[in-house]
Amino acid sequence: MSNDTLYAIKDLSVEYATRQGNVRAVDAVDLDIRRGEILGLVGESGCGKSTLGKALMRMPPGKVVSGELLFDGTDLTKISDKQLRQIRGARIGMVFQDPMTSLNPIQKIVDHLTETIRTHQPKRSEADARLRAEEIVDRLGIRAERIDEYPHQFSGGMRQRIMISLALALRGDLVIADEPTTALDVIVEAQFLDLLRDLKNELGVTIVLITHNIGVVAEIADRVAVMYAGKLVELASVHDLFDSTKHPYSKGLLRSVPNIDLDGTDLYKMSGAPPNLLALPSGCSFHPRCPEVMDICSKVEPPFAPVEADGNHATACWLYQEQSVSVELRS
Amino acid sequence: MAVDLDTKDQPPPEEQALQAWERDLEHIGIMGRLMAGRKWHGADWWFVAIAIVMVAGFIFVALFPGLIAPFNPREQVGPRLLAPGETPDQDVLILRVGEPAASLVDFAGDERIPTGVVRGAPASEAVRDQADRITEELNGGGDERRVRLRVARFETLDEVLDALVVGDVALAAASSLEFEAVADRYPDLFVAGPVDSDQGGGQSFLMGTNQLGQDVFSRVIWGTRIALIIGFSASLFSLALGVPLGLLAGFAGGKLDRVLTMIMDSLYAFPGLILAIAIAAVLGPSIFNIIMAIAVLYIPTYYRIVRGQTLSTKEGLFVEAARSLGAKVRVILTRYIFPNVVPSVAIIFSVNIADAILTGAGLSFLGLGLPPTTPDWGIDISRGAPLMNQAWWIITFPGIAVMLLVLAFTLLGEGLMEIFNPKLRDR
Repeated sequence: MSNDTLYAIKDLSVEYATRQGNVRAVDAVDLDIRRGEILGLVGESGCGKSTLGKALMRMPPGKVVSGELLFDGTDLTKISDKQLRQIRGARIGMVFQDPMTSLNPIQKIVDHLTETIRTHQPKRSEADARLRAEEIVDRLGIRAERIDEYPHQFSGGMRQRIMISLALALRGDLVIADEPTTALDVIVEAQFLDLLRDLKNELGVTIVLITHNIGVVAEIADRVAVMYAGKLVELASVHDLFDSTKHPYSKGLLRSVPNIDLDGTDLYKMSGAPPNLLALPSGCSFHPRCPEVMDICSKVEPPFAPVEADGNHATACWLYQEQSVSVELRS
Repeated sequence: MAVDLDTKDQPPPEEQALQAWERDLEHIGIMGRLMAGRKWHGADWWFVAIAIVMVAGFIFVALFPGLIAPFNPREQVGPRLLAPGETPDQDVLILRVGEPAASLVDFAGDERIPTGVVRGAPASEAVRDQADRITEELNGGGDERRVRLRVARFETLDEVLDALVVGDVALAAASSLEFEAVADRYPDLFVAGPVDSDQGGGQSFLMGTNQLGQDVFSRVIWGTRIALIIGFSASLFSLALGVPLGLLAGFAGGKLDRVLTMIMDSLYAFPGLILAIAIAAVLGPSIFNIIMAIAVLYIPTYYRIVRGQTLSTKEGLFVEAARSLGAKVRVILTRYIFPNVVPSVAIIFSVNIADAILTGAGLSFLGLGLPPTTPDWGIDISRGAPLMNQAWWIITFPGIAVMLLVLAFTLLGEGLMEIFNPKLRDR
């Protein structure tokens, strides 16, 4: 593992147990998260992006069935629950979609913070933890004297900032933000994204930004991973993804974004619906909806492979694979 | 900091649609909510206020029954079955004004004392018995004097009193009620006291007396203590068992949850009083056993509510967030889930007390409760029931007491539910 990789995800599969059988929500995902980057994780609802985000901390309800989660050299799938708890909150933090319900309504903000700090550093005194709490909320743009208030006294954007302050209270390395701006209005959203960028630049925090909003990704992400039906279909720098999109699904996703220049009728609607994860199509999961479908697509699953020499742009699509590979796989 | 902080205190758009006072409500404490309750509940907060006053009153009475109750509730303090406020009919000693003697003892000596009575009246028996008793007592104490009466029998009370006025007899013995009726015409005469001085001053009783001559009012007052002890302890026991079990089952889920829920549901499905009767009958009568019998009955009430609340609370994002911050299971249960469940527990508790008191009274009524001398409302109602036609007061006052106490706790519980359950706000 190279030194600039903070978190190496190798061949990760996550399943849910349902009455109809096991649903594989994340299927054999390989992904490196680089130190100090903002990685956008996009895809439509149900594609497994939130499950992947939670799996990074081994959070329920999904169950990691195979693969490795190498966080800074430690495989999270092999450590005990106790060791895992020491990493959660201290080194990896999470910010959730709904800021209105992600704080305990009957606990003061300061108690949230000091509890987190003292869970991981039991020797730290209450007063000391409080100082740190004041420092971190102040850093995130909330007046320190407000930490004695309750969550309902804050607006959505402020609560989201409090969530971040919780994730960073112990100077964590990685923040997993699961659709953090979905519940915010556009003005607050812009402020929040600015804040994320500042945190990255000033504190060197690595951020995984899970979202279905391509615009948000374009705004602040360094690299983007596109997911479809539990699999990674494209991974590229944000510049490459927008300028030389490879995978037909990514192309569709980009064209589906409303744009002020379009007429009312011009907005692209991808045909079909996301596949049933219990009965995935054969071959490439996207082939029933793909406008550029080929023979091979319904028969053999495309490998996730680099499309450029530098290896920074990879996709899982037969359009960009050597024909020889496909013939080989077919035989 | 690049973030513009100007907008951070603005409420999100959906809150702006609320009324100004509704928004204010978000920023006030519990007392403020109670005071502001009128705005969103009509008259309901008055219910809570009244209920609090009533409950506080009952608790005061239960703590200091001796301050309020005039008599010992276990002792005979007056004639039997005396109606509320009624003066008992007593055999009294009637003397002339200016007579130095005040009771029969003062007439002790060698002379026979001329005593006027109505022929055949109970007073004539009573006065002679009492004279003999006093003589015995005096002699027993080494005093040789005797009280000897010369009883003169008349046909009517008027004749007796006329004889007393003119001095033919030295004293008269008669029914107090009969004398009261004609007392106006005999200003020179007065009632010196009851013939039998041990019987007390012929006083009336606020709520009457029961068939054992016990003061109903004193028993009602002392009964408050038993009722509250049973209500509180039974509810506390149920709470102490039901809440942790509910938390555990709701949080852990799986087999444990299914087994516990099955047990609790079967308890819940069983008719309450019958179950309590069975348990109380097996355990035998004592206050602790009654409390246990009632407590078992109400465990499922707490269990079900707490389990349900735990199920929904643990899905809350803030519980997941706590996990993501490395919180331990114990911390999540005690600091995240339990405090969010407490308000509904407090509400059931107060309604539950009312139920437990009723059940306790029911058990006592059926004779499965406490020893019969205990001042307990259920026992009093049970014993008064056969006498309902002659003495309504024996069962009425304990009945009212049960009703008021249950009403107070129910009002309190329901009122608190209205105030603290935001889902009921708009109803």
